Amino acid sequence: MVRRGAGWRGAGREEGVTQPEDAQEQARRSAELKRAEGRYADTSGSDPLDDSILGGKAPAELLSEWAVIEIEPDLLYSTRRGGAPITALKRLLLRLMRQHLVELEARQTRFNLGLLAAFEQLERRVETLEGAAEARAGRDE
Amino acid sequence: MTAVHQAVAGAGPYDAVSEQARAWRQLLSQAGHGGADYTGQAAPGTHGFEPLAHLEPAPGDLIVIRYSAWSSSLGRLLERPQRKLLVYHNITPPGYLWNHSPPLAIQCAVGRIQLPAFARSARVVIADSEFNAGELYAAGAESVRVVPILFEPDRLAPRGYAPEGDGPLVLVVGRLVPNKRHDRVFRAFAAYQRECEPEARLLCVGTSLNHRYAALMQTLADASGARNVRLAGGLAQDEVNAAYAEADVLLTLSEHEGFCVPLLEAFHFGVPVVAAPAGAVPGVAGHAALYTDGDPAVTAELIDMAVRDAQLREELEQRGRERLEHFAYERTAQTVREVVREALA
Repeated sequence: MVRRGAGWRGAGREEGVTQPEDAQEQARRSAELKRAEGRYADTSGSDPLDDSILGGKAPAELLSEWAVIEIEPDLLYSTRRGGAPITALKRLLLRLMRQHLVELEARQTRFNLGLLAAFEQLERRVETLEGAAEARAGRDE
Repeated sequence: MTAVHQAVAGAGPYDAVSEQARAWRQLLSQAGHGGADYTGQAAPGTHGFEPLAHLEPAPGDLIVIRYSAWSSSLGRLLERPQRKLLVYHNITPPGYLWNHSPPLAIQCAVGRIQLPAFARSARVVIADSEFNAGELYAAGAESVRVVPILFEPDRLAPRGYAPEGDGPLVLVVGRLVPNKRHDRVFRAFAAYQRECEPEARLLCVGTSLNHRYAALMQTLADASGARNVRLAGGLAQDEVNAAYAEADVLLTLSEHEGFCVPLLEAFHFGVPVVAAPAGAVPGVAGHAALYTDGDPAVTAELIDMAVRDAQLREELEQRGRERLEHFAYERTAQTVREVVREALA
């Protein structure tokens, strides 16, 4: 059903497609032609969220960043409709508890950084040992 | 008759898993089963769920665990001696969430680690899509039944206010979470608007992961250069229905999907679908959708085809109707009754 005023719907394209299976190929051709005319600028390259999505393990620099715990008041809010007063109350409580929370932040961060340093030290040792093992294997051959 | 309880890690007013629990409850009640639905955590506005800590099942009861995230209260169910039926709705890979919501990332990471234990503990294991069944087998499940979601067309009848404005309406339905890749939606829509339909509108329906992520999405939408973009948040069902009735295209560029209910909703309304063929999407939509290769320009062209090509629209509408037959309510309801009987046997 075409709604009133929706003149674009089913208005037709120069190159008609009847089968959905052909659509992607045709869309690709059409996009290439338009790109050749200088259109569709800004549609190449990576997408904005790409860097924030982690595939496998988190990279070391990200682990260092995560190790430092910092309580952020703007992460504290109410999800209720008209919850602004509740958000304000929660943030006030956070401020009142600040002395205690700073201490907690520091203790957790101390542990995280210590663990990270130990982990990095272990990684360096493994690398050294692997290098030595490879060199020994090379000599034996 | 034996009581059948349902348990979920978290419930919300716009949550697909909670919606399924409600649909199953209706079926279970019709079959004469008592019991109630429980959640570890309820978002404001959630109705029909009791706190999971209150679950006190009798020895012969059945517990249906709907698994889409881990929670400690859900984990404690494994120690219960009662019979269990696991429904796996998929768990988002935590890599999508570590940078945007560490608490949810933890729930998902532990959820995936614990999946084999949940599968082992259940007498009957269900996945709502072949894609999810694959994940269960990879987690060591020996036998998995695929039971699609209970799709209720009646829910789509009430109509609220139609979205404002004029021009082709591109609709996106799904939570604002990183795996749904709204960043790609904005880029593709901006390209479509620039090259094909300057008056086009984009309506994104769905609650956000958190305030910060909602703000990030708004920033990305603004930076894309697109106009007429509305991030509407969660809408009441009648308003979502009105949006479908008005929509020219449903766009989903999600990178990880366990089922994707909006596909069926779009088919119901005869709205053409342009999608990324990721996760369960090809299994659910089959040949009834236009698939993009991810290039924003190709996506824009596909949207334009879906809007303008009358024959293509008709063909997609016809195929959508055929896909819906596969997910017909009574057909799925019959399978649900069977698996519940099997779990109780």
